Amino acid sequence: MAKKDIIGLIRENVIQGRVVQDDESLDGGMVGEPGVTELVEEALAKRLDVRDIINKGLTEAMTLVGQKFENKEYYIPDMLASAEAVGAAMKLLEPHLAQSGIKPKGKVLLATVKGDLHDIGKNIVTILLRGAGYTVKDLGNNMEPQSIVNAVRVEKPQFLGLSALLTSTMVNMGDTIQALEESGLRDNVKVIIGGAPVSEEYAKSIGADGYGSDGFQALAVIESLTST
Amino acid sequence: MIRKGLAGGSYQPLTKESIAKIDQTVMRVVEEVGFEVNSEAALKLFERAGARVDREELRARLPEAKARELIGMAPPEVKLCGQEEKHDVLLGGNRVYTGTGGTALYIYEPASKQTRSATLKDLKRIARLVNRLDNIHLFMLPTYPNELPIEQVDANRFFAGLDNTTKHVMGGVYTLGGIKQVLRIAEIAAGSAEELLERPLISMIGCSISPLKMDANYGDLVIEIAQRGIPLVCPAEPLCGATSPITLAGNLVIQTTDSLMGVMLSQIVKPGTPVIFGSVATNTDLRDLKYLAGSVEMGLLNAAGAQMAQFYHLPFYATGGMTDSKVLDAQSGYESAMSNLLCALAGANFIHDGAGMMEFALTACYEKFVIDNEILGMVMRAVDGIKVNDDTLAFDLIKEVGPGGNFVAAKHTRRFMRREHYQPTLSDRNSREEWEAKGGKALWQKASEKVRRLIADPKYHLPAEVRQQILSEITGIVD
Repeated sequence: MAKKDIIGLIRENVIQGRVVQDDESLDGGMVGEPGVTELVEEALAKRLDVRDIINKGLTEAMTLVGQKFENKEYYIPDMLASAEAVGAAMKLLEPHLAQSGIKPKGKVLLATVKGDLHDIGKNIVTILLRGAGYTVKDLGNNMEPQSIVNAVRVEKPQFLGLSALLTSTMVNMGDTIQALEESGLRDNVKVIIGGAPVSEEYAKSIGADGYGSDGFQALAVIESLTST
Repeated sequence: MIRKGLAGGSYQPLTKESIAKIDQTVMRVVEEVGFEVNSEAALKLFERAGARVDREELRARLPEAKARELIGMAPPEVKLCGQEEKHDVLLGGNRVYTGTGGTALYIYEPASKQTRSATLKDLKRIARLVNRLDNIHLFMLPTYPNELPIEQVDANRFFAGLDNTTKHVMGGVYTLGGIKQVLRIAEIAAGSAEELLERPLISMIGCSISPLKMDANYGDLVIEIAQRGIPLVCPAEPLCGATSPITLAGNLVIQTTDSLMGVMLSQIVKPGTPVIFGSVATNTDLRDLKYLAGSVEMGLLNAAGAQMAQFYHLPFYATGGMTDSKVLDAQSGYESAMSNLLCALAGANFIHDGAGMMEFALTACYEKFVIDNEILGMVMRAVDGIKVNDDTLAFDLIKEVGPGGNFVAAKHTRRFMRREHYQPTLSDRNSREEWEAKGGKALWQKASEKVRRLIADPKYHLPAEVRQQILSEITGIVD
């Protein structure tokens, strides 16, 4: 199989959300054909450039998936399946990153804030960020401001993502940022927030660094903050 | 995913006993009251088949046994073909298909809220539009080209249909000369007369006149169509309180009898000829006797008609999906949804008028075809019902996800989401902010945009040599 073919197949299989060969494509086909895991293994065995696998295979595919999601052709589960495929690929590629001169993308801590048990949105962001090559630590839900501060101190992430679904709990995002300030850790980490009731304006009002209206937006915000 | 030909029948407004009583009454009417046959040829055929004929009253009365024998000769299934095989349908049983209907004289334009006279160009453009609307399975010629003399109407209508959609083309016909031209056009399009019989690309409609009367012209048309073996629809249009008893049961007796009159005549002409039992039954506005197209009773009557057709083992042509509203408003939506849904759930084989029609069936509307395509998609989803098996019950998944988990990222979700849940083609599901950001458009505006897009791209036409042959052989076709 030619080099271009394998990378093209990786791209196609990410778009189809196929992690392994047993997975089905969007229309229920392709079962038994190699998935992203098998293809990446093959690409590594053939010593293809890790950079090409990531840029031309995984990243290009996720850009297309993002467009399909924006165009309402893809639903959240489609997007998650694709992100999962990329996550699986990144796991295989991880040991090869350093020797290819690729820097890891950074670490993100995620939490649903105090009083809020809703974690679907946060879990989606977790999968998407992992799919984009970030190291993600998911702290869980109903997290006290102080517990989040402690985790930031120990884990030393570049990003902290806070989530809330309720108007009654979103105020706890502000309290968490306040607690970070008080502990002197605020400048060590960029804070982004998301969740149905919050907005760009609200993010500004509580002193957050960014706001993502959905999973892809969260990723886009983190990417833009990475480059600054 | 396109849903068509799925089994309906979960909604049954008539009990078995009710069906038997309606049938017994129909047979008494056929035998004791009889029907008036104004076509000399048709009257002779009924007489030869064993009817008692009163020449003074032009009345034919058939003995019950003979009537049942004739009905039994009609095939239980009728195949209607498209120029592309994927559009073929097999009417019969309780399988549900949808289509447009006719025949409207006007076009409603929602931007100006005005109507105007329908032209041949409208018919061509609507055919092209419906060709792209997946939840409309059959194309019945929905508008009348007002600018043409009646002798040119049949050929032009059917040519417009065949030249702009690959779906099956059904239509009412107006003149005997027209029918002959239409059959020739269809033969050329199919390749030959034999190929047309094998794959009927067109079908025709011959209406009786309720109550209990066969018009001279339509009697002759039915005979001509049956002789040629082209699928024929025999609908009846009794109106409660006007041309039938006010009661729905009484209406069903008249509708069944009148439609069976055409079915029986077709079998006398040629046993086994493909014929479709049909209903356009509805009620009237008793203030002025207007025909009503959007009443809930119309839905009930046509759902019951489907049960009667299933009882006689005849394919069924139902009427549903219209509105009496003059604009694209809430009334237009709920009336169209109501009767389409009732007919489909009853297992009506072909719901005609299912899309595009408003204002007592006088008016068609481009945008409404698009809106009704969405209604029909939802209706077909309802017909599809709820599948219960180990895969859909998903015990293993529930066990795996456990308390407090979620199913968003499960492969099971992705595998079933498009199959289990109807994907809207027009309805707005944006948040208020998104909707406002996109211009805060009303449904009809979105439908207008879709009409423009679908009509523009890409055009279907008959193969060049077929077109050429039709245009050179048939006079009076406006290209």
